[in-house]
Amino acid sequence: MNRLGIIGCVATAAFCASTANAAPPPERVAFTGGTILPIVGDRIENGTVLVERGVIVAIGGEVEIPYDAFEVDCTGLVIMPGMIHPHSSDGLDVANEALPVAPFLDVGDALDPSALFFENALREGITSVHVIQANNTVIGGVSRVVHPIGLSVSEMTARADVALKLSTSPRRGSDRMVQMAQLREAFLALDDAIAKLAEAKYEEKLKEDEKPMDVGPAEARERGMALLEDRDYDELHLNLVRLRRGELGAWIYAGAAMDVAPALRVARDQGFHEQTVLVIDGDAHLAAREIADAGVRVVLPSQLFHRERDPISGELIETFVPTVFHEAGVTFALQPNPSDSFAERFLNYQAALLVRHGVPRQVALESITINPATMMGMGDRVGSLEVGKDANILVLSGDPLDFNTRVESVYIDGALAYERESDTRLQELLRLQRRQDNGASGPARSNNSNNSNSNNNNNNNNDDSDDNDRARNGRNDANNRSNQE
Amino acid sequence: MNLRHQIRRFGAALACVAGAMLATDAHAQGQNRGDREQTIAIKADTVHLGNGETIENGVVLIVGGKIAGVGPGLAIPRGATVIEVERSSVTPGLIDAYARLERVDPFDAARRESGRGRLAEIVRRMHGDHETGAFACTCTGFDLCPAGHMHFEYEVDGVTCPLCAFPNHMPMEAASGLVSTASLTESSSEVVAHTSVLDSINLRGADFDRLAGGGVTTVFVSPDSAAVIGPRGAIVRTGGPVRGRVVEEQSAVQAAMNSDTFRFGPGNNPPFRGFVTNQTRRPNTRMGVTWVFRKAFYDSARHAEGLPVSGADTAPLAALDVLHRVRVGEVPLRVHARQKNDIESAFRMGREFGLSFTLLEATEAYELIDLLKDADATVVFGPIEADPTGPRRFTPEARRGRLGTFRELLDAGVRTALTAQDLRDENGLARQAMYAVWSGVSPGDALRAVTLTPAEILGIDDRVGSIEAGKDADLVVWSGEPLDPTSRPLLVLINGRVEVDRR
Repeated sequence: MNRLGIIGCVATAAFCASTANAAPPPERVAFTGGTILPIVGDRIENGTVLVERGVIVAIGGEVEIPYDAFEVDCTGLVIMPGMIHPHSSDGLDVANEALPVAPFLDVGDALDPSALFFENALREGITSVHVIQANNTVIGGVSRVVHPIGLSVSEMTARADVALKLSTSPRRGSDRMVQMAQLREAFLALDDAIAKLAEAKYEEKLKEDEKPMDVGPAEARERGMALLEDRDYDELHLNLVRLRRGELGAWIYAGAAMDVAPALRVARDQGFHEQTVLVIDGDAHLAAREIADAGVRVVLPSQLFHRERDPISGELIETFVPTVFHEAGVTFALQPNPSDSFAERFLNYQAALLVRHGVPRQVALESITINPATMMGMGDRVGSLEVGKDANILVLSGDPLDFNTRVESVYIDGALAYERESDTRLQELLRLQRRQDNGASGPARSNNSNNSNSNNNNNNNNDDSDDNDRARNGRNDANNRSNQE
Repeated sequence: MNLRHQIRRFGAALACVAGAMLATDAHAQGQNRGDREQTIAIKADTVHLGNGETIENGVVLIVGGKIAGVGPGLAIPRGATVIEVERSSVTPGLIDAYARLERVDPFDAARRESGRGRLAEIVRRMHGDHETGAFACTCTGFDLCPAGHMHFEYEVDGVTCPLCAFPNHMPMEAASGLVSTASLTESSSEVVAHTSVLDSINLRGADFDRLAGGGVTTVFVSPDSAAVIGPRGAIVRTGGPVRGRVVEEQSAVQAAMNSDTFRFGPGNNPPFRGFVTNQTRRPNTRMGVTWVFRKAFYDSARHAEGLPVSGADTAPLAALDVLHRVRVGEVPLRVHARQKNDIESAFRMGREFGLSFTLLEATEAYELIDLLKDADATVVFGPIEADPTGPRRFTPEARRGRLGTFRELLDAGVRTALTAQDLRDENGLARQAMYAVWSGVSPGDALRAVTLTPAEILGIDDRVGSIEAGKDADLVVWSGEPLDPTSRPLLVLINGRVEVDRR
């Protein structure tokens, strides 16, 4: 459980209730005076973003502010589009079904709106989360993009039916031959089912028209195929049909370089090559050339370094994976690293690491905003600040690639979703409750230590929040007890 | 015959002398050409001295492996090698006063495949797979887990059982930083202050390369805290000629005032997890730990006076000799304690025997700021983690920790250094300082906590820890500001020699 994940259930409920019951957000909001990083387009100093009913209607240096617009003064602050988590199963109660082939599933059924993960995401400046099944699958269910705030799945959903999860790396306890056999079998079974369905459909039509069968089975299938509608398919097959038609994306997990070629082959053979995104891991960067040639986009592993020892010389080989893909000309998106203890959990820190290793700043910023947006098929709605896009806006205390920059507030569809000032749990973690924060500049630095004595005395208010934490995670709870016994 | 013999002997002697002369000559030349007399000038946009001060557009002058001078407009002598990188900054080499080294090399693919990976597979098949990657198993008496531990969660991909580091019980051929068969702490007694961790260190291990790559040039190699009073740590450099790396062979004695839930040797853990069996050791409770600690120091006084010592928990006499030296202040003491009650116990013991010590890790120090302030404590705090990783995440106190603790300690005037412990991915320790700034500490104070403060705590601030004329030239040239995530160590110099070069 992430301790940054904070507000706790009581606070969440109160928070959500307040957004739900309070007066509706103002129709027009103007963010004025800040430095705007629109990601697509040039940086604007002292610019204005005008939002109307949750959509950006104007952006620039000289925007006329309507008389009834609610003005958010961002002087001295930085405005950028909300960051996008491209690949997460953290919001799900269970990441994968035990069935190897389960394209009929929908992550919406397993999504927990009160998961601490979402609160964290919001606090860290993420406004869209692509919730998709984890990699321990052959064909997984259909994913959706959600805002990390809301009381129900439907309230959170920004776009349902985004993509299916496939994997060419073996499921746990399986091997590659079985994995690929199951994947092929799924599509063969689909072809078979469609053929039978088409034949039956044609027969049915003839029966309706009271005509005898006039053609052979192959021709009957052909003719029946044109008559098939969505409701004719059973749940087992419908999503795969939609995948082939291009209505769903294919996010294929390739956990090693050797799994890349099979993934690309499946995508090409089955005709969903266009909307394929590779989710890579391990040494898959060794296949960067192949991926570039195929024109496929990738989600990079959350651990951006790949380290390995040369089996002969014993030398440590350290590869910074994003550089490889950048040099190969592949479009990529970054993930936060949930196994890191701190900084790599922040998408903007991951992007900063790219800059450290020589990737251009613009590419780094795109890989946490517009790139994942286009991969999710939402390039027209999120990922940049442009006229006509959703008003998912971050107000930051400084440059996004500086680790000490703070997320001051987050707006989703033009409505305030997070405010650092009222983030009580964060205050508690930073031991700042009694300290007078001077707004935008965040926690006071140690040089004004004259006001620090006041917070030495309030040491006894942690127990409640701990209890909440435990109540929220049964497994950790069990561990706690066992550790203490 | 005799004459011939003599001639031959004379010839041999001549050859010897000549050889020796040649050798010294070559040696001297090597020194001349290499680091000994070489003058290096580093020019940088910012020079962080380590004591909190900063010089803009500074020059650091190195002569013969020592810092000869530092200043804004220093004249660069003729013939000096000039190192100048645009927009760079210079800091002293970072110092980790509490480095925990790996017993195994995490990047050894061959080992991963054949060893732990297979083991994980075996265990998983035995105990079932719960899809999430975690599963419950009870392997009390399971022969690969000799301590008879209960396993509650086992990370198949993370590879180590957090409760007993189960695969670590397998024999290991190559260690990354430390060579050891099972635990890092000698388990023949609960009081092993007479042993030294230096005997277990593999100075050529990959851990040191990783530390150096992250800008850390000096570390206190800490034993794990599986014994009540453990071995003596060692202070070593992370690079340079292996023979010159050891700064202090026999450094502080390290005690543990708690159950160590982090490094699971067969130590004083059992009371705090799983069953007490005939395989587990005493003590079994926190009371027991305190008692063993108290008895050891009590016995050391008796032993020093020539009185006999006896009883069930009597320590080896050699250890008592060392503890006597601790008691009279000749050998420094460090006490590892995380929970607030353990920290309180440590100070209670300290008062009882008049001991002063450095407090290690101190996760719950935010609860005891006043106590630490009044006791004039010295703390090596950390790591700062938003979400504890590895075995630490199974310790309730790590999850209770507060991100602002370090800032509060500094504000209260407690001398505190930062440690990354086992987190040594690139910039492990530098990232700790970055987190400190995130929590509201000034960059200067944060940098001091990973340079001069740990040097002072280790008692080596006359040699390292800051950029000052006369100190060893352990320096890091960063590609930008040291605590900026977009910059990294470009050059790491140890004793004036370039050990890491990423230009």
